Amino acid sequence: MSFLQPLLSGTLTGGVYALAGIGMSLVFGVMNISNFAHGDLMMLGMYLAYFAFTLLHIDPYLSLVLLIPTAFMFGFLLEKLFINKVINHPHQNQILLTIGLGLIMSNTALLAFTSDPKILTTSYSSSAFNLPGGISISVPLLLSFLITCVIIAMLYLFLSKTTTGMALRATSQNREAAQLMGINVAKMSAIAFGLGTALAATAGALIAPTYYIHPLVGHSFLLKAFTICVLGGLGSVVGAGVGGIIIGVVEAMSSTYLSSDWKDVVVFVLFLAVLLLRPQGLFGKKGGQS
Amino acid sequence: MKQIALVTILAAAAIALPLIIGENPYMTGILISVLMMAALSSAWNILGGYAGQYSFGHAAYFGAGAYTTLILLTNYSTLNPLICMAAGIIVASLIALITGTIVFRLRGHYFGLASIAVAEIVRLSVLNFEFTGGAQGILLSDISLWGLDLNSKNPFYYGMLLVLAVTLGITAYLRTSKTGYYLMAIREDQDAASSLGINLSFYKNKSLVISAALTSVLGSLYGLYIRFIDTSAVLDLRLSIEIILTAIIGGVGTLWGPVVGALLLVPLAEMLRSNLLGDALVKAGLVSDTSAFGIFLKENLAHAHVLVYGIITVLCILYLPKGVLGLFRRTK
Repeated sequence: MSFLQPLLSGTLTGGVYALAGIGMSLVFGVMNISNFAHGDLMMLGMYLAYFAFTLLHIDPYLSLVLLIPTAFMFGFLLEKLFINKVINHPHQNQILLTIGLGLIMSNTALLAFTSDPKILTTSYSSSAFNLPGGISISVPLLLSFLITCVIIAMLYLFLSKTTTGMALRATSQNREAAQLMGINVAKMSAIAFGLGTALAATAGALIAPTYYIHPLVGHSFLLKAFTICVLGGLGSVVGAGVGGIIIGVVEAMSSTYLSSDWKDVVVFVLFLAVLLLRPQGLFGKKGGQS
Repeated sequence: MKQIALVTILAAAAIALPLIIGENPYMTGILISVLMMAALSSAWNILGGYAGQYSFGHAAYFGAGAYTTLILLTNYSTLNPLICMAAGIIVASLIALITGTIVFRLRGHYFGLASIAVAEIVRLSVLNFEFTGGAQGILLSDISLWGLDLNSKNPFYYGMLLVLAVTLGITAYLRTSKTGYYLMAIREDQDAASSLGINLSFYKNKSLVISAALTSVLGSLYGLYIRFIDTSAVLDLRLSIEIILTAIIGGVGTLWGPVVGALLLVPLAEMLRSNLLGDALVKAGLVSDTSAFGIFLKENLAHAHVLVYGIITVLCILYLPKGVLGLFRRTK
């Protein structure tokens, strides 16, 4: 019976990871850029939720209404000011630029918020539903998961039904062809990066009530997001969704059956195993291989 | 001919430098850091600059050297440190070969991502195992080699200088050797290189192992020099990024770029760390000592050197992607 507990809580956490992974995958798909600042954008989302709660007394889940547009604008500006300058550079330069931006964000946060970890405690932080069989579901995790599902559904509708969404997908499939069809690919890049930032920040805010908040926390999320993207297939949004859940479950299982110290190692070994056995990922198109 | 003369003068100056500055441990310490970063960045440059494979996890090889050497020496204190260094090379090469075998079949972003994943696996394993000292790190009490006074800094200055010279020598040799041409061909166009019969993964692995072995020697030297290591000092992602940044600022894929980068970056980091920059701003009258901003600078600038690295990285990629040496080349 104890098997179900990590499966369930892993799935719930994995949902939030999926959100971060989808954000990264979207940026990768549309712009062909690995965004190394993704984890730090998540960290900023955590702090935004924290300060909205402690200073303005807004519930972290309600604060999303403000946080999502703010993060989108921030990402949109980042793209306009920095990222699009290197869009035709070799990807090493793109990676280094995003690493630099990430370092600026995390170390500015370190100066501004100090290195003391913060904890966001809401009235329902430690409450849980008890199911028969000794399984318990944490309320904040469940709420985060449900919100994640709503956001993913909205994103799905946006990508498949709206003109902008279709233009984004077209750019992702073939940048040149999309441009020839009259799609403003520069604008699509900025929108994709804005969406990616908004999704990262949302994932950060959703995980904030159940995680410690620290300026350098982004680094571990970044690697998780990469693992999720590679697992699902770089650039595949559906793959990133499934990959997120898998990573969440693997993490929870290895904490339960191995030790929580080793859970990240298990995730990275899984990452290497995917590269070795199925480099195009679970849902990726073939072609990543040389 | 002119080049040989220049290199001879540089080498003579580098050898004579400790004698000129005399007994000044602080200055010697900074010079050792400069030499080490120059050598680390040059070793990285063999793989990143010439083969075009950007490793974001070189700290793993540095840490492999440092940890192997110190673990062996704390358990078998009579062992010759050079043998421990050799053991470090073997460990680092093994890690490199495993990474290379998995990812060099793939192209694009995968090697960069996998190099970070491997470095994280190494870092977390060292942190979680007991024989590695875990989060407490390893302290080395006493070492000896051929009756040298290893409590003084000079032997390490010359050690680092020697490794730097060897690394630059290998780089210079590679530039005109068949292997070097193959590596540069792979960097410029993988498909073309492959269609000419170059075994891509063999040559990528070769440059990775050379680079990793040199990096591990530097790690061993660092461990013997500082005599205390933990994961945040020798295995952190920050170190990997500093190594790349040094090469970028100097000029990736150039022989002297990493040296120039280290000469610029290490003293800057030292100035920030020891708050010389904050003091200088106050002395120059730009910032008042008692104003809120002045106090903020004084208290925080010492912690801000990573932030400054971030700003330099961004500016460098946007405005100086070919590095300082690239700047001179353009005007020629």
